[in-house]
Parts: sequence; C-alpha cells; structure tokens
Amino acid sequence: MAEVVLTEVRKSYGPVVAVESFNLAVRDHEFVVLVGPSGCGKSTTLRMIAGLEEVSGGTIAIGGQVVNHLQPKDRDIAMVFQNYALYPHMSVRDNLAFGLRNRRMPAVDIDAAIKRAARILSIEPLLDRRPRQLSGGQQQRVALGRCIVRNPKVFLFDEPLSNLDAQLRAQMRLELKELRQRVPTTSVFVTHDQVEAMTLGDRIIVMKDGLVQQVGTPLELYRRPANRFVAGFIGSPAMNFIDVRLTAEADHLILTGAGIRFTLAGARFAGLGACIGRAICVGIRPQHLRLGAPAGGDQVGIKGPLMVSEQLGDEQNLAVRVGDQDIRVAGIDPDLKLAAGSEIEVSAPADSLHFFDDGPTGPAVRLV
Amino acid sequence: MNATAIAGAEPAGFFAALAPGGKRVLFALAAIAVCVPFAFPVLWLVLTSLRPGSGVYYVHRGTEFTIDNYYEVLSQPIVLQALFNSFMISTLATVLSLGVTATSGYMLSRFRGPVPNAWFSLIYIFRCVPYVSWVLPLYFVTQRLGIFDTYWGLLLPHVAVHICFFSWIMKGFFDGIDPSMEYAAMIDGCSRWGAFWRVAMPAAIPGLTALAILCWLYTWNEFLFALILTSHETPILTVVMAQFVHELGMEWHLMSATAVLALGPALIVTLFGQKYVLRGLRV
Repeated sequence: MAEVVLTEVRKSYGPVVAVESFNLAVRDHEFVVLVGPSGCGKSTTLRMIAGLEEVSGGTIAIGGQVVNHLQPKDRDIAMVFQNYALYPHMSVRDNLAFGLRNRRMPAVDIDAAIKRAARILSIEPLLDRRPRQLSGGQQQRVALGRCIVRNPKVFLFDEPLSNLDAQLRAQMRLELKELRQRVPTTSVFVTHDQVEAMTLGDRIIVMKDGLVQQVGTPLELYRRPANRFVAGFIGSPAMNFIDVRLTAEADHLILTGAGIRFTLAGARFAGLGACIGRAICVGIRPQHLRLGAPAGGDQVGIKGPLMVSEQLGDEQNLAVRVGDQDIRVAGIDPDLKLAAGSEIEVSAPADSLHFFDDGPTGPAVRLV
Repeated sequence: MNATAIAGAEPAGFFAALAPGGKRVLFALAAIAVCVPFAFPVLWLVLTSLRPGSGVYYVHRGTEFTIDNYYEVLSQPIVLQALFNSFMISTLATVLSLGVTATSGYMLSRFRGPVPNAWFSLIYIFRCVPYVSWVLPLYFVTQRLGIFDTYWGLLLPHVAVHICFFSWIMKGFFDGIDPSMEYAAMIDGCSRWGAFWRVAMPAAIPGLTALAILCWLYTWNEFLFALILTSHETPILTVVMAQFVHELGMEWHLMSATAVLALGPALIVTLFGQKYVLRGLRV
C-alpha cells in the first residue's frame, strides 16, 4: 500500500506563500498530475513530497507514515528530474546501480534489477556508456530506469519531458503510459503542459498562485471546469470567454455583449436566475463551434468577419472577430476555402456553454 | 545563381583582397607581435643565465655561453633547501586550500541563509583589503604564536588568502553543476554530505584541477609573505633569488640561473594543466 496523503500542506519563504492549504489523497497505484503555470507551486509541492523542501505547515504521509521529518533517502521514493540529473562521471550501469549499492543490496540482485529495468526500457545496449554519450530521449530513459530498479513506493516526476523536442515528447508520453501498465506504481507527475496532464493523469490537480483550483479526472476538468482559470488552462485551443450582461425576457434569458446576443431557454438554465441584471462571463470551447447559423432554439450563433485561418492538415482553426475580440473556432474541414475578411456565422449548442462569475471562493467560479 | 549573388557571398574589404592563406599569415604575424614583448624578458633571462658573470653587462664581450652558473647555484645548500621548501609549501598550501575552498564554494553556491551570507560578507571584506596591508599584522601574529619562519607560519596566511580568492572560482564551478544531481543522490540514499562528496565533487574535478594549479602557481611565485614571514630557517626560492643582490653588486647571472630553475616546475605545471587553468580563469 502506498497512498500519498497531503493534509493542509503549506510552504512559505518568509512572507511569500508558495503553497497554501494543499489537500490531496493519491490512491495506491494512481497516477496524479499537478499542472499549472510557472510559479504556481506545483514543483514546490512535489519537492516537499520528496523531502527536498521542508514543509512549513501540515503533514505529508506516504504509505500511512507521516514523513515530514524523514530524509529523502528514507521516504522510499524515486524521482525523475527535468534535466535528467544523471551522474556524469558514472556509466549508465553505475547510474542505475547507485541507489541499490547505497542500500547495500547484494551484487547479484543489483545485476538482476539492472537487467530487468534495461529490458523494460530497451536500454541494454547503452549500459556501458556515459550519460554525455546519450541523446536526450536515451538519457530520460536511463533516468526512468534509475527509478524502476529501486522499486520504490512512489514515483515523482518533475517536468521530465519538458527538455525534449515536440516529436520525442509525444513518443515519451506513450512510453510513459506503457511503462505505467508494466510498472503500476503510485505516481505524482508535475507539468505545465495541459496535453501531458490530460493524456497521462488518472486525476489532475490544477494549481494557480499556490492554491488548488480543481481536482478531477481529465474529462471532469474539461467538461465541468470549476472556474474560469481551469476552463482557460485545460483544452487546446483555449476556451473563448465573452463578457455579457444577463437579462430575462418572458421565459427566456438573454445574454448580450459586444457583437453577440444569445437567447437561452429559461427553464434549462435556472441556475443563472440569481445573476439576472448582472455582468457575467460565458465560455465556449472552440471545438463546440461549427460553421453555419443556429439550427433551432437550443443553439446560439456568432457572426463576424474571418480574421485568420490556421491550416493544420487534418483540420483548420479560425479566428472570427466579434466585438473587440477574436473567437477561436476549431475542427473546420481543411479543404474549405474561406477568404479572410469574409463574414461568417458559427454556432454552438447552448448546452455546451459555460458560465462564470465572481463568487465567494474567488473570481470567475462556475455558475451552472 | 547569378554573378551578383556569388560576389555577395564573398567577404568584402581588406581580407578579401588577400591571397589564399594570406589571412592566416596576417593573424600569425599579429600573434607574434603580441607574444614577443611577453616572451622577450623570459628569453633574455635564459640567455643571461647561460652567460658568464663578466658577459652579462656587455654584449660585445664575446658570445661565450656556460652552464657554470647552474652548477654554482645548485652547489649552494640554501638554494636546494629553498627549492624543497617552496615545493613543499606550494603543495601543502594547495592541498589544504582545496579542502576548504571546495566546501566553502559549495556552500556559497548551494545554500542561502545567515551563515552563508555572513561567510560571503567576510570573504568579500577580506578581498577588499589590500593584500600588502595584511603583511605587518601577520608578522606580529606569527611572532606571537611562535610560528614565525616555520612551514605553518607561511602556510596559514597562504591558505587564508586562497580561501578568499578561490572560493569565488569554486562557487562559479558549482554554479555550473546541476543541483538536481545532488537531489537525485539524496533520494538514492545519500546524505547531503554524501551527495556533495560522491556526486558534486567528481563533477567538479575540472574546476578542482584548475584551482589546484592556480593555487600551486600562486604560492610558488609568491614573494611578499615569504619575504616578511620567513628567515634563515625556512628559506623560500623567491626570497633566496633576491639575495643575489648584495653590497658588492648584483649577480645577475646567478639570479637568472635560480630564476630559470624556479621557472621549470611552474612551466611543467602550466603546460600540463593549461586547459583547466584557462577554464578556471574564465569562470
């Protein structure tokens, strides 16, 4: 059993608070991803779990044991670093054996563990090379191997793919997923890349300014973002946000903003009733917008001149100017020829709209 | 491709007008012009060491060369003793300094807080004090401690100076080493000290080598401390060399021979460690 439980964890550097009230229970064999922009406290949280940073408040437990005052070596964890952190003066074999020798494992067992890890990661031909003789991807595999040989309770990953080029990163993502199936160990993975978070995580924790914004499965975060920050952070291209004023007409709700007017069936959006007469923010994912006028009362439409189209090969993305902002539209037929400046209309199901407003727990929380 | 494009690809101006290889010759001449002013005194020193005493001042007194100066210098016990002392002091000061500067540089590079800050300030203050102003207080201190004119009396001031000057270089080397390696070692079962000793130190070997060479050369060539803090019991080569100036005049030929002897070990150390020294000086 190796759950990782963080309770009211806090980290401050003098007056600067890096992490505040962090609560999380990572289940045995679960793969959890901490994601957020630079400086949000995700790496600090990981380093606190590893024991590389002292905890200012709260408790961290690994496998049921509080580890706040344990040295990193006594926590039975393994960590992969952004820069691989391989020992340059040792061969790959010695890099893998280093942690095992420190634990006084018999040489025969060390050899067997190295062979097993090398086989899993296909690095057998590299065992006698030095780290500087390896490519970035190979170095990252060796860094993973260093974790696997130890068979620890928890794997910690600190942005391990961010130094790789886009193609290799995609490949390593797949390899990590495969590795997880073969070595199912409790893992905490830190990244600033939402694609990595969505593809790798059983659950994702979105952080901003040292605070947890939302915890959920990738689909929960995508479909029901808790606030405007999460909505904008998860999904690519990012969600469109339009500031609107909410009014009521008969049994309909009317959203009016610069260049738009949405009419919603009042009964289906009863949760917005408390905001009538106020300014709120409506979010539309670019993938939910389709070319063409609204087909019926359960759709909303947006009209404007086409500013830019981005050809991606299998699809094209559009930017439509509405009021003083560009609305992104994704997933358009790549063969469709659209002239820049031409007036186009796009529509989305009213059900796919997200509504955000300033709430008691912070700005722009989800309304419906 | 048209002619204009081809012409545009050629370097324009003076260098373009040179014949093939001319650019290389020009650079070689420029390098020689820079090196000659530096090399000439050394060459003159070697020539003087090979001239008889009577031929030093007057070039027209024949072209006689001799190695008798070396025999004469090496037959003096004080010169041999000074060679041995200089070698021992340089080597011991290097070993002691490396031990302290490596840990000191590591602390300055990796740790934040009141202790590293205080240490940093102390080193900075000592660096700001003119070197020569240390000599007189050190003379009184070594007299009071009873270590005047001993190895320790010269070693301790040298190590103190090395700590102030070379901790910065060592800090620069450790700054260039990814601290993640030490974190990985700590997770792999090392203590902080173990991570320093088994991971950071091996990674810093090029830096340590540069530092060792610089420390050794600095101590080997040092004159002021040796002049003030030693006497007849612990003769040092740089001071002994100067003692060929006496009331009857200056024995340039003997002084030059001693200087060439002193140049030998320094030259060997520099040639073997040139790569590392250059790296150290660039930090």
